[in-house]
Amino acid sequence: MKRSVHLVAKRVLLPLVAHRVLLPLVGVACVLAAWEATLIVYRLPAIVLPSPWSVAATLAELAGTAAFWRDVGVSLYEFIAGYTLGVVLGVAIGMLIGESRHFRMAATPVVELLRFIVPFAWIPLTILWFGTSYTGKILLVAYAVFFVMVVSTARAVIHVEPTLSRVGTMLGMGPWRLAWQVHLRAAAPMLASAARAAAAIGWIAVVAAEYIGASAGLGLMITNAATSLATPVVIAGMIAIGIVGAGVSACIGLLSRAWLDYR
Amino acid sequence: MATTLQPVATASPRRFPPRAVAWVLGAAGGAVAIAAWTLLSHLLAHGGGVINRLPGPLSVVRELIRYAGTDLAKDLAFSLRVFAIGWLIGAAAAAVTGLLLGRSRWLGKVFLPVVEAIRPVSSIAWVPLSIVWFGFGLTSKVFLVGLAVFLVVIVYAVDGSRRVPADLERTATMLGMNGWQRFRSLVLPGTLAEVLIGSRVALMAGWGTVIVAELVAADSGLGAHLISVEQSYDVPAVIATMLCFGVTGWLMNGAFSFAERRLMPWRHDGETHDR
Repeated sequence: MKRSVHLVAKRVLLPLVAHRVLLPLVGVACVLAAWEATLIVYRLPAIVLPSPWSVAATLAELAGTAAFWRDVGVSLYEFIAGYTLGVVLGVAIGMLIGESRHFRMAATPVVELLRFIVPFAWIPLTILWFGTSYTGKILLVAYAVFFVMVVSTARAVIHVEPTLSRVGTMLGMGPWRLAWQVHLRAAAPMLASAARAAAAIGWIAVVAAEYIGASAGLGLMITNAATSLATPVVIAGMIAIGIVGAGVSACIGLLSRAWLDYR
Repeated sequence: MATTLQPVATASPRRFPPRAVAWVLGAAGGAVAIAAWTLLSHLLAHGGGVINRLPGPLSVVRELIRYAGTDLAKDLAFSLRVFAIGWLIGAAAAAVTGLLLGRSRWLGKVFLPVVEAIRPVSSIAWVPLSIVWFGFGLTSKVFLVGLAVFLVVIVYAVDGSRRVPADLERTATMLGMNGWQRFRSLVLPGTLAEVLIGSRVALMAGWGTVIVAELVAADSGLGAHLISVEQSYDVPAVIATMLCFGVTGWLMNGAFSFAERRLMPWRHDGETHDR
């Protein structure tokens, strides 16, 4: 018994730890070493490329300031408000497009044209219309998320197993109940993965909008740092953007999984 | 009355071919959208709350024609050049890196987690740093586009290099192919096919990055034009430039989907998201 536990530890646990933890750490160490070596060999000043340690120190220092958390809060607020709006509207319109052939035919050219005007191209217009307020960014995120959700929802609803619809009709469901109780649920897994993709795009849209016109937020923080050549702050800010983005994506993954399990 | 048993010649529901219906309905949808836009621009003409000015479609079209007659070709050529160079470099780098990381077990285990850690930091987040490093010129934009394309294509390249069917590989060994021959005629084509698909998926990510990079580091290109008309509060010109971006993206996507269908008819990937 003890022997077998020992064996499991040796055969399974050790390689797992080695492959999942040690080897990636070696990779990170290689990258950090290359970074340091570049600094030493080319004698780069901190303005061009600060050392990894000074970036880490800057990040720790930033995390202690209230201004940093205010920027994170503003960006997250803009993201969450816009994301919710975009997902709700996108799924609703996507359902309509998926359910009604005629509506699909009528809406396709307009949706296709607008879809290819990427959200970033709207940034100057939102600034002209809404200034540097939150509203502009919220609408921008909603726009970005909306089109991802419309396209995926419509495709998911169109590709719902036809047998399901026939069973529903046979059970006496009307078109609305069929859409709400059968098609939406059958499409749920695809909607969940689209929601994650949309979150990534929406988060980038927030950051990009803040570069160009904002009064607070992570994007503004790193452009300001770049114009004053505070490169450690720029890189620390980029890392923060990455961490928040990954966190948001993970949260949406968890939420959608909880929702799918509940179904 | 035997005649009543004959099938009654009702009006067929498919009297119009569906193609024609789609065209008519599509045109109607577009007309409704344009009518709504015109109506809204009239309603908002005399101070419409936050949206201080919305030009009608006609003035946008007029602006579009004026722009097409002056600087459009030059700006578009600049943006497309940035895009093409960055896209080619990014896709090539991703193909090579993906082959290395995908085919070598140890390299993959060591460096793939690093790539995965960098991927959530979107290329857009690199814009300020790239300006610090490379200034406002062509280099910084090419770097950003290359990075955007690289981060998308690398996933496809690693996947493609690993997805060579085991049967094929065994057959090739049995036929006496050596390692290099197997690589050249099995692994490389498989990877390149996936890289091609990844490059099409990366089109919109790359094009979006061109826009942001040109908006922030504005010196020339469509994005720079967009920022300059924005700063002179010329709303019709802003909307006209946005349309140029949209149409260009649409054309590129269409051309690529067409090429993909022609080159790889067996792959029906459908459209995937940007990431």
